[in-house]
Amino acid sequence: MALSFPNYSSSSPSNLPSPSSFKHHQRTTPSSILSSQNSFRHRFLKWVSIQSAKNQNLNAVCMQEALPSNETLKKLKDRSLPFAPPEECGNVVGFSTGKEECTVSITVVGASGDLAKKKIFPALFALYYEDCLPKHFTIFGYARSKMTDAELRNMVSKTLTCRIDKRENCSEKMNQFLKRCFYHSGQYDSEEHFVELDQKLKEHEAGRITNRLFYLSIPPNIFIDVVKCAGLSASSSNGWTRVIIEKPFGRDSESSAALTRGLKQYLEEDQIFRIDHYLGKELVENISVLRFSNLLFEPLWSRQYIRNMQFIFSEDFGTEGRGGYFDSYGIIRDIMQNHLLQILALFAMETPVSLDAEDIRNEKVKVLRSMRPLQLENVVIGQYRSHTKNGVTYAGYVDDKMVPKDSLTPTFAAAALFIDNARWDGVPFLMKAGKALHTRRAEIRVQFRHVPGSLYKKSFGKDLDQATNELVIRVQPDEAIYLKINNKVPGLGMRLDRSDLYLHYAARYSKEIPDAYERLLLDAIQGERRLFIRSDELDAAWKLFTPLLKELEEKKITPELYPFGSRGPVRAHYLAEKYNVQWGDLSTEHVHG
Amino acid sequence: MATCSSSSFISPSSFNNDPTQLPKTLQKGLLLPIRRSNIPLLHIHSNSHLRKQFQSKCSNGYPLNAVHFQDEAEAKETTISITVVGASGDLAKKKIFPALFALFYEDCLPKHFTVFGYARSKLTDEELRNMISRTLTCRIDKRENCSDKMVQFLQRCFYHSGQYGSEENFLELDRKLKEKEAGRLPNRLFYLSIPPNIFVDAVRCASCCASSATGWTRVIVEKPFGRDSESSGELTRCLKQYLTEDQIFRIDHYLGKELVENLSVLRFSNLVFEPLWSRQYIRNVQLIFSEDFGVEGRGGYFDSYGIIRDIMQNHLLQILALFAMETPVSLDAEDIRNEKVKVLRSMRTLQLDDVVVGQYKGHTKGSKTYPSYTDDPTIPNHSLTATFAAAALFIDNARWDGVPFLMKAGKALHNRRAEIRVQFRHVPGNLYKGKFGMDMDEATNELVIRVQPDEAIYLTINNKIPGLGMRLDRSNLNLLYKARYPREIPDAYERLLLDAMAGERRLFIRSDELDAAWALFTPLLKELEEKKIAPELYPYGSRGPVGEHYLAAKYNIRWGDLTSDDS
Repeated sequence: MALSFPNYSSSSPSNLPSPSSFKHHQRTTPSSILSSQNSFRHRFLKWVSIQSAKNQNLNAVCMQEALPSNETLKKLKDRSLPFAPPEECGNVVGFSTGKEECTVSITVVGASGDLAKKKIFPALFALYYEDCLPKHFTIFGYARSKMTDAELRNMVSKTLTCRIDKRENCSEKMNQFLKRCFYHSGQYDSEEHFVELDQKLKEHEAGRITNRLFYLSIPPNIFIDVVKCAGLSASSSNGWTRVIIEKPFGRDSESSAALTRGLKQYLEEDQIFRIDHYLGKELVENISVLRFSNLLFEPLWSRQYIRNMQFIFSEDFGTEGRGGYFDSYGIIRDIMQNHLLQILALFAMETPVSLDAEDIRNEKVKVLRSMRPLQLENVVIGQYRSHTKNGVTYAGYVDDKMVPKDSLTPTFAAAALFIDNARWDGVPFLMKAGKALHTRRAEIRVQFRHVPGSLYKKSFGKDLDQATNELVIRVQPDEAIYLKINNKVPGLGMRLDRSDLYLHYAARYSKEIPDAYERLLLDAIQGERRLFIRSDELDAAWKLFTPLLKELEEKKITPELYPFGSRGPVRAHYLAEKYNVQWGDLSTEHVHG
Repeated sequence: MATCSSSSFISPSSFNNDPTQLPKTLQKGLLLPIRRSNIPLLHIHSNSHLRKQFQSKCSNGYPLNAVHFQDEAEAKETTISITVVGASGDLAKKKIFPALFALFYEDCLPKHFTVFGYARSKLTDEELRNMISRTLTCRIDKRENCSDKMVQFLQRCFYHSGQYGSEENFLELDRKLKEKEAGRLPNRLFYLSIPPNIFVDAVRCASCCASSATGWTRVIVEKPFGRDSESSGELTRCLKQYLTEDQIFRIDHYLGKELVENLSVLRFSNLVFEPLWSRQYIRNVQLIFSEDFGVEGRGGYFDSYGIIRDIMQNHLLQILALFAMETPVSLDAEDIRNEKVKVLRSMRTLQLDDVVVGQYKGHTKGSKTYPSYTDDPTIPNHSLTATFAAAALFIDNARWDGVPFLMKAGKALHNRRAEIRVQFRHVPGNLYKGKFGMDMDEATNELVIRVQPDEAIYLTINNKIPGLGMRLDRSNLNLLYKARYPREIPDAYERLLLDAMAGERRLFIRSDELDAAWALFTPLLKELEEKKIAPELYPYGSRGPVGEHYLAAKYNIRWGDLTSDDS
């Protein structure tokens, strides 16, 4: 372990069950050179994970018997060809590499919850539909409610959909998929119940090499219980066992660290897959491609040319009667500290040594650690109030039955962040996130400096910064990338205006863009950790926000009220003005259809 | 000097006055035409709302030069008389009169103006109007009052028949012009739409007998400006006997094209391009021109010039100069032209090794047979004239050392197109190199400026194909003019005529520029002719001779127009 993750020490208090119970189990394989040597195996796994990075035909786990030589690998690749659909996922997980078949068992813990129904099961089906799951797999729903397999299937079936562009065999495929879905009812903290689950899983796995993935779609206060039970009683005996967890990962540095410590009693770092579903979004994935595979952008990617960056997230609805969870977290924890900060890190990080998960995450941690903790004076918070428009009244945040009447929880926040390193010194990174605003949108805006000594300055009026180039990456809705350039308006005069060099995904790519959860589930199954948050990353992220969050709470800072459906608190503009920035999302720019 | 000698009987300075040499009081009374210097006069206040309108609507954004005499014009109205010499020719009918009408339609002409057609054929005013009216069109997007406006325009058009070398005939023209000008302050513009061998004659006659007495007189000339350094130098010397440099407006109509004009805007008003504009990031630049038709029975002129003189030495080289020049001190014509001359003078003379010439041959496709170049009745059967050429040029300065500038121009190819392609280098130490296959240069960024048809700018970038895999492909960041700018783009001639009237010289070729351009091509042209280099034959309607690929390959380049990535 030390070899792969020198930074982590898995502390294991002695009063707890054997910490290794959930950790990697060695498979006894004919080529025992590997199986007996932990460190070598990890080196191998690491080596394989390079190979198995997206679009490459190999997956780690079922190849433990293979000698890690390029030659073998190549052979395996060749052999895998008939199995691997070249189109999407390339490396079908657990394809048979020779002697024994692999299987994946995916247990959705909290199967009756909203996320499971809306996202996880549909994503699993989509992966199945695209032939991205191994030939044999088993899906188990686990929750407290009593349900039969048929009832689960019935519930799941309601939310399954086929891709718009691929409708053939849809219902047939659905039936096949549902046949692989099962349900087990149990308490989240009962080892006994997890033992029962283990038995059922074994039944379905039927002697194959087993890999097990647990998706914890449950409230954070029972994370550790489940991990403990699953770890002790339901982890794979001869393959890998991985656990996906969803935010919140604590609510500040301390609670987050406590959670991490708790998880690490039962899991190794590389078994923990902390999901930030924004990282699975197509255009967020594309950020690194844009930056590092195009010559055009990298020379411009520094304080010399970039004036500011903006990370904008807005929703056009409020808590809608489900404010209970939200009220104890607030928009800063819910959106900024994770989604927006993760995107910022991808944008601002130095070039990694390779596209390997560890190399990328190392760079992300570096840039996060170079950032200044947020200052209260660089933050604006807001909370939406009720608003009546055309006879329709939209409820205010505190009107939500789940929200205390005197709640000070921000539903909107804007912040200016700074990275004190050589590349970004002095460049403001502005973030803005809010609920109940006038649009639903997530975008990244890179505003460039003005042209020094511009020959055309007369054509631009007083403010040269009004006419600078801007790169916009619209993450949702209606994915697009565009670069605003100054251009001559065609005609006999010499008027300049801003036009866009525009890439509209819907027009360019006819295929439906997969949901973020599909990508992330597939990555977790493949052991690709690039898009998951490592423990030290999480620590670094919390460190930036914790002092501010504490101060907001201690000083009981009152959020500025803004009407439901508006553009948010006016003070966001004053914050931008302080750094001589204009929010880019408010200009009345040319809209593309 | 043969053509020039005919001028001996008139004062060479008759057209060439410098007002600074005369006391101001004298100027008014003089019959001699007075050249106004090109010092911008706009800073002198004027009450003329007409002029203001003229400026704001159509001035190109820069100070208008000397349309009026400020000191004495306060009370007097100005007028412009435009004489199209060679009015019955093709260019006049297809381009010049329609462009003048478009300017009139857009209110870009002064309130009072006169258009005269001048040619040898006997025509009445009515006949001229009739002829012109057939080629006038209104903008697609502005059809109101179109026929009204046409009638008004045609009423300002007149015809005078005369010989191109006859001073007497030009004197008659002068009298007619004066009549129309009716005591207003006259500025006169002559558009020489005639064969080059009579340029100097016409200039001499116009100068001695029909130049403006109190306003400016300017002459627009069309290519060819000679056929090598010597003949071009001589033409310039002859013109300068009657004209000063700033009265000569050498038109290169490619410079009036919207996207060529936009080239400087792109470069100098966007931060994102200038840092990339050098050998450090640009691998090569390609200037591509193709026509999908041959000489079609009108090869007489072409055969004595060839594609290199007809397209490369002027249009493509001008675009190259705009593309590659250093940042000028200002957008003033002289500042820009100074930079263009500099970059032209930094260029290496073309080498025969770096040039491929071709000539189209007949081709039968389906049931249709396309004739070869030499099948054309106007072409000698043994002609070696190039209808296609590709060349690699180099600029030996700090910015561009080692960057190949590839040019390609041809007739009778498979499509009609003019575009500029900037191919960038590959990303050093590319993290994604595993995704690109063998050749990193296949997946580089490219900036394409499509001048015609269907104007567009696009930037080819590498992008992740949406989906669960990690496959990359090239997508375009696109700006399609048609979609973004619904207004019709004006013809290049409109812009250039307007600029000539406004005294804006930015888009016209200065004499030293022309010299520098010929200096690059003359040795090659001579060598081609002396060695009788046979052009590589290519079928009518094909993509051109294969030799172009070997030329590109020599510099490790691929022609960008042959990939199927266009949108």
